[in-house]
Amino acid sequence: MTVAGNTARPVGRPDLRLRRVGSEWVLYDAAQDKAHVLNQTAAVIWTYCDGNFERSAIADAIAREVPGLDSTRIKDDIDDVLRRFADEGLLQ
Amino acid sequence: MAPQVLEFASEDPIAARALAALYHAAPATSEPPTLRYALARSAGGYVATTPSRPPFGPASLGDALAFLEWRATEDLLNAGSPDAVFLHAAGAQVGPRLVLIVGDSGAGKSTLVAHLMVRGHRMLGDDLVRFATADGTFTAVGRSVKLDANALSRLPLIAAKCAAGVVGTLLAAGCYYVSPAAIRRTWQAPAGRPRAVLLLDAASRRGPGRIERSSDGQAAVYVTQKVLTAADGAGKDVTVRLLDGLADVTAYRARGGDPAAVAEALEREAAA
Repeated sequence: MTVAGNTARPVGRPDLRLRRVGSEWVLYDAAQDKAHVLNQTAAVIWTYCDGNFERSAIADAIAREVPGLDSTRIKDDIDDVLRRFADEGLLQ
Repeated sequence: MAPQVLEFASEDPIAARALAALYHAAPATSEPPTLRYALARSAGGYVATTPSRPPFGPASLGDALAFLEWRATEDLLNAGSPDAVFLHAAGAQVGPRLVLIVGDSGAGKSTLVAHLMVRGHRMLGDDLVRFATADGTFTAVGRSVKLDANALSRLPLIAAKCAAGVVGTLLAAGCYYVSPAAIRRTWQAPAGRPRAVLLLDAASRRGPGRIERSSDGQAAVYVTQKVLTAADGAGKDVTVRLLDGLADVTAYRARGGDPAAVAEALEREAAA
């Protein structure tokens, strides 16, 4: 299945800044002066959007970094998050 | 940042006393004044003069004072500084934690700050909080707390001081301006980073006062997009630095119409 907006190895825009705030994360888009709130899983996914990781590799990494996640849901979650990143114009 | 000195003066003894009452909480400094505001009596009332602006008035003393404070605040914000901006927020030190209090105008920030001060906590600011972009700390701004008659009805200690004309309290233009120093001898919260952000929602003021956990990230977004004053000349880097300054916050939303109960709930959270 092709997920709209998702490339094989997603690349986040390098001008965005990811900052932790309390228990969540904020991804700040200075060009649009817009901030996006990410949960921990989405923030971890973002850190792997550097063009070096396919979705399957991101899924493996998430499984290691966020214990307790249902592995069968991880890929769906990644697709959802990457689709959101793409829709918001956060990916190259 | 070099201190931005706001010097207020009047030859008229009544206006001079009123100005002193309003602004005596401002931190003392040996720096030369950079902005000067004055009140003078004229045939029709008082005339307020501000740097490079047409005079305001003649008007009542209260109206002239309200104008001066508004003008001074605008100039302070527009003065610009590469290493500090002002947030349209209130705040207090509750227990060991600095709490940044945000919300739209009329949401009850001043009233909550007054309740917290009466309960023994120090003020981080009312309406204005200074944020140093260089080190990410938040600093108290010495500025009067504006309270209306409804707020004062639940603050008998401050109401009594206002009624007695204690130095630091003043009725102007239908609103009580209360110097923080008139409420607490030591009023200024130490500079630091907030550990909590409390959002006051004017639409949620029914029922018993309480606070609820809310999204830390959404609270930070609110601060960067609604609280960072538009006149700060901030630039995008300031937003990122402000997010850094909020890294350790826990966010809450206040519910209900009882600021004393909200203050008590904040104390319980701080002690937990």
